[in-house]
Amino acid sequence: MALLIVVEDVGRIFRGGAKTVYALEGASFTVQEGSFVSLVGPSGCGKSTLLKIASGLLPATSGRVLVNGKSVDGPLENVGMVFQSPVLLKWRSVLGNVLLPVEFARLDRGEYVEKAKSLIRLVGLQGFEEMPPYELSGGMQQRVSLCRALVTDPQILLMDEPFGALDAMTRDELDVELLRIWGEKKMTVVFVTHNIQEAVFLSDSVVVMSPRPGRVIRELAVDLPRPRAIEMMSSPEFGRYTLEIRSMLASAGGTRPPAVGSTT
Amino acid sequence: MKFSLKNIAEPALFFLALLALWEILVKVVGVPAFILPPPRDLYTSFTAKFFILGHHSLITFTEAVGGFALSFVLGVGFAVGVVYSRHLQNTIYPLIVILYAMPKSAFAPLMVIWIGYGLFSKIAIAFLVAFFPIVVNTVVGLKEVEPELLDLARINRGSAWGVFKKIRLPNSLPYMFAGIKVALVLSVTGAIVAEFVAANEGLGYLVLQANYSLDTAFALVILLILALLSLALFVVVDVVQKKMVPWSAEVRQLEGSF
Repeated sequence: MALLIVVEDVGRIFRGGAKTVYALEGASFTVQEGSFVSLVGPSGCGKSTLLKIASGLLPATSGRVLVNGKSVDGPLENVGMVFQSPVLLKWRSVLGNVLLPVEFARLDRGEYVEKAKSLIRLVGLQGFEEMPPYELSGGMQQRVSLCRALVTDPQILLMDEPFGALDAMTRDELDVELLRIWGEKKMTVVFVTHNIQEAVFLSDSVVVMSPRPGRVIRELAVDLPRPRAIEMMSSPEFGRYTLEIRSMLASAGGTRPPAVGSTT
Repeated sequence: MKFSLKNIAEPALFFLALLALWEILVKVVGVPAFILPPPRDLYTSFTAKFFILGHHSLITFTEAVGGFALSFVLGVGFAVGVVYSRHLQNTIYPLIVILYAMPKSAFAPLMVIWIGYGLFSKIAIAFLVAFFPIVVNTVVGLKEVEPELLDLARINRGSAWGVFKKIRLPNSLPYMFAGIKVALVLSVTGAIVAEFVAANEGLGYLVLQANYSLDTAFALVILLILALLSLALFVVVDVVQKKMVPWSAEVRQLEGSF
């Protein structure tokens, strides 16, 4: 596997009026091509900012990001994005929403209709193609947003707490589904979450970040067998990973030390 | 809105009772007709002057809708300009805000000097009062776009025109309709006030004439016609909105609450 993304010593300062916020300071990590990497850390640690910098949507104040060996200096091509909220266009059908990136990229819409439909089938929404998004549940809307991110066959999928607003059961369900789709599409995924269990469950590697100004405490490889099933979350190996991350965060001052008997 | 028997019968009965009470009270208390005529006088007045009312209603309708149409075209155009041009936002927009703070109907006498006695000075006032709600609402609708959607457009190399056509414009429609509803009702008011100032036709002129001759029944009939005119315009917009913007939260909320 080749190195796809190299984040090198990235810092980001936000200046707004009298306030200067040091969001990131010297954050570094790497992502192998085809792997699933999660960024985990306390809220406000700059995970989302880091994701935006990696996508080229936001410039870094210091340091640099290399993708495919080239320094990122503008919005990347061949990237799909899933945000915390589905942000679907209310005036378009499910299918119309999935095809939005195709239209922006001025690709031939007709060629992508079948592809969009098969993605919609892949996430289990067949029959909903012509529905307006506001008639769907939150979980279903986020599936549509996943299809929209995948329709142009991106090399990299960037996900910013995509399931954070959903209830725990729906989130588990979508995590499993995401892994299935990832297994099929083989894209590289960078996934931001504040949920340690979710990070461990999904990832090949978890990038643990400190509170603001965010730095990378450690890149932890997760050697759990694949395919993964939700039951694995109760295995001792799984528990060791989550505990390790938890103590790293605790010693960085991000969260309280794990309580006895705590499972998350 | 559901039209069940109960939803029609209840208000109908209420209004009938109100009319009956009015008729009886006026008789019992002995109020002179030039202060408050009984509803029967209103009906007589309405049927007797039906064609005169029709003619003058058409004039006022033309003024109001003409002013509104002008405010819609210029208002939406101006809103787009303000959203896309920092120069416009820094120069003309403050000017508009200052104008907004003035009572627009106070321009009516000036409009007579500037434009003249006829239809166009009334259209100008209707335009003035209707312009601001359209601009303000459209600007908000064009601006209040989720930033993630703009990121999505950037990642996919979307053009500015594409962002406008696919995101900003449709996003602004529910706001625009809210502005249109306010603007239409205001444009009727604007036309009437302009007619008060200087006119020889239109419902505003007619109200003044009725007042001069102490024909209170006729004046009240004209006010009712005006209410119906505004209401009809409002309903038309509402129907168009439900057709064009079925996703608008406002539309769905109203459907649920009536």
